[in-house]
Amino acid sequence: MLVIQLAVVLCAAKAAGFACERWLRIPDVLGELGIGIVIGPYALGGWLNLFARPEAGAFPISPELYGIATVASIVLLYLAGLETDLSMFLRYSVAGILVGVGGVVASFALGLFGAVWFGLADSLGSPAALFLGVISTATSVGITVRVLSRRNRLHSPEGVTILGAAVIDDIIGIVLLAVVIGMARMAGGGQSVDWWRVVAIAGKAFGFWIVCTGLGLLLARRIGKFLEFFGSRETMATLSLGFALFLAGASERAGLALIIGAYVMGLSLSKVDCSDELRRRLEPVYHTFVGVFFCVLGMMVNLGELRSILLPGLLFSLFALFSKLFGCALPSLLAGFNWRGALRIGSGMLPRGEVTLIMAGVGLSMSLISQEIFGVAVMMTLICTVVAPLLMAGLFNDASGLRREPRAEKAVEPLALQLPNKEVAEFLARQIIEMFEQEECYVHQLTTGEPIFQVRKDRIAITVKREEDRVLLICSEQDREYARLMMIEALAGLSRIFDGLRKIENPSQLRGRLGMAAEIG
Amino acid sequence: MANQFLRDAIVPRHLRPELTATDKPGIIRELLDILEQAGTLPDRKAAEAAVVEREACMSTGLERGIAIPHGKTDTVERLLVAVGLKPEGVDFDAADGQPSRIFILTLSPASRSGPHIRFLAEVSRLLQDDTRREQLLAAATPEAMAAALA
Repeated sequence: MLVIQLAVVLCAAKAAGFACERWLRIPDVLGELGIGIVIGPYALGGWLNLFARPEAGAFPISPELYGIATVASIVLLYLAGLETDLSMFLRYSVAGILVGVGGVVASFALGLFGAVWFGLADSLGSPAALFLGVISTATSVGITVRVLSRRNRLHSPEGVTILGAAVIDDIIGIVLLAVVIGMARMAGGGQSVDWWRVVAIAGKAFGFWIVCTGLGLLLARRIGKFLEFFGSRETMATLSLGFALFLAGASERAGLALIIGAYVMGLSLSKVDCSDELRRRLEPVYHTFVGVFFCVLGMMVNLGELRSILLPGLLFSLFALFSKLFGCALPSLLAGFNWRGALRIGSGMLPRGEVTLIMAGVGLSMSLISQEIFGVAVMMTLICTVVAPLLMAGLFNDASGLRREPRAEKAVEPLALQLPNKEVAEFLARQIIEMFEQEECYVHQLTTGEPIFQVRKDRIAITVKREEDRVLLICSEQDREYARLMMIEALAGLSRIFDGLRKIENPSQLRGRLGMAAEIG
Repeated sequence: MANQFLRDAIVPRHLRPELTATDKPGIIRELLDILEQAGTLPDRKAAEAAVVEREACMSTGLERGIAIPHGKTDTVERLLVAVGLKPEGVDFDAADGQPSRIFILTLSPASRSGPHIRFLAEVSRLLQDDTRREQLLAAATPEAMAAALA
């Protein structure tokens, strides 16, 4: 049955995502989430007996399918980490911390009060209020990454700040969850809160994060060299994914979310020479399974449960949305962004997804919250996730989000070679690429059409580009001599080919021979 | 990285401060002699053919008196480097029309990948520094040449 379920989820998610992008012009992730609700066990899937209708309070997805979705979320966050521009991440890490902490404090505090104000919890210390507070804090960076990636804004100052803040947000959120579970259990058991135990839980979670990130960055080059030792690029990519899964598992054992370990692994490897290669090799895995992940999230929604608490749930969701939006936007203003940039960051921090639902699922499975409160969590997730990509689409235009533009690095004139026509330029560009590969550099194609290639090895970064009948090599002053000699060598190779061609006195004679061979064949 | 390359590939017995040849083919032959006399060149004929063939395609005389004759042949197993000096200069058909005075000859395996052009680029970049270039040209012994290139 699992195979059929997976087939349905895979096809439905892809078709819905395609329809959203192509005809509705909205992010495909919304289609994948939406179709998940439709085919889920509480709707069509339950009626058609495709998915077993869960009993009250039970987790709605089978462990097998949920396991596949979890692996997809690890791939998603691992690739997000791998795609992160580490120097940019560090440059904006202060902003990331400010935004992450601001967002968590505002959304947790307002989530607690909101739960009481809208009648969803009896008191600020009740498990329902604590859970609604903590689930308001989490950000589903996966949805944001996907939207930003599509718009080529993942490496923008706002994009990197969002990624950094989302990591901070996840860590604090998960530590808070551990603390809230402890407090809710104590409240449920009629005990007073043991603050030492609370501090111990929080310390363990933070310790894991600090140690793993530090070690990851310190050992990144060695890990990169170890992967390169295997030579085969497929083996390198598979092994790196294995490492990501391992760290994700270790992260979970330390009481953090799986995705944190995956992201840390990706971030650590983002600076190694083969990072583009790893990403390229893992992209098919990403494209296959990420749709499954978002579709499975949608399948966890029980629309029927939401009827009784529709209004308070709706009000709470909107309240949570604004608390997160402004909770993240206001600290951004202190970190060098203007209002446009601040709102972009706020909107990017809005989507709730895997972490929110995992948190709510934990509360539900431990009977610390009711099915209704789980429903509110889902409603909030859905509203924030629907609103965020639409807001981001409107806000992420070409205008700068910074108060002051960063000082540009000294521009270096590209090395340009004008050739007789487009075909010769294309041929020479290919020769140069091939030569860089022979030099054991990693070459990554950035675009199709008039292709742009990025060459990387150790500290070398050279862009090879063809523009009509010109070949351009763009690099820093440091790499200029290397780029220049490669161009000279490619020209020497071209000259050798022309000499060879000149030796063919009569091409028609060659054609004649070809004809004879064909006739014989 | 240049230092790493130099440490690995440049050895004093492959360096000669006073080349005697007065033309391009003679300089190439003399540089190959250095490798042959050091016992590191397994097939002299194939090596010379590779360097001459590359030189025929396009001159390897760069600017600032530096020339980098090189060739690819599977008769060598790793990157081989010979460096020779001719302070008076020899016409090597250089890009700036000036006589060449520092010659760095390299041979690399044809069917094995490796950072061979990168090596030449690193040495060429290193010698763009006027002081270092003059220091190398003033070297009277292979050891002094190695020190100037380190």
